Amino acid sequence: MVPTVRVAGCLLVPIQIDLDDATVERLQQQLLHEIEAERAQAVILDVSMVDVIDSYISYTISETASMARLMGCRTVLCGIRPHVALTLAQMGVRLRHVAFARDLEHALTLARGRLTGGTPGIAPPEPRIRS
Amino acid sequence: MVVHIRREQDIATARQVVKNFAQENGFSLSDVTKATTAVSELARNIYRYAGTGSVCLRRTTRDRGTPGLEIVAVDRGPGIPDVARVLSGGFSTYERSLGIGLAGVRRLMDEFEIRSEPGAGTLVRAAKYRRGF
Repeated sequence: MVPTVRVAGCLLVPIQIDLDDATVERLQQQLLHEIEAERAQAVILDVSMVDVIDSYISYTISETASMARLMGCRTVLCGIRPHVALTLAQMGVRLRHVAFARDLEHALTLARGRLTGGTPGIAPPEPRIRS
Repeated sequence: MVVHIRREQDIATARQVVKNFAQENGFSLSDVTKATTAVSELARNIYRYAGTGSVCLRRTTRDRGTPGLEIVAVDRGPGIPDVARVLSGGFSTYERSLGIGLAGVRRLMDEFEIRSEPGAGTLVRAAKYRRGF
């Protein structure tokens, strides 16, 4: 089990262990259960301690975020290290269904934005009312 | 140095071994991360598709003695019928994957070559050289 912290309606997940395949898969199951149990509006994955994010970890994070979104919960990936960002960008990995934050404060701002079901953190255009 | 891939945990072991190796040989943090990520992909491919195989690491040099790190990943698995297609990225026969593993490895490393024979196995050789600056 990866310990999680409840902060302002969000589930904060500080990842401080090496993410091997089995751990990532267990984490997915754990988060889905906790989202339901805690009625979390967002999951904040703090990866500032994580040294390697490969294609499989990326895939599982995206998949988890997609599942969380179906449950009305957004996912924010927080604190990707520069060398990890470089590696992901060079590999051409696309992390889908997640918002990215520089730090925890930024993550909370994104997490608590209006939940629209669209791109996290970005509000949809206001409906135009014609008179 | 050889890491045998037999169980899922061996992927993490291979990662750790290459990380230490690259650090000890004075690679930058970015290059350590790239090499470690590349090995993670290669070791996983072995485990997923071939079941068993090995990842070999050794010191190498280029040109006027630029030190480098060579990775050779070998298995006697089913092989890859269409290597070009796999290298184009976004293709995978394994359901839980992005299908960019090998294409990603090629982008992360300075040298990359692959030999694969359906029914006989796959060999990937990749190298990363220490930056001169």
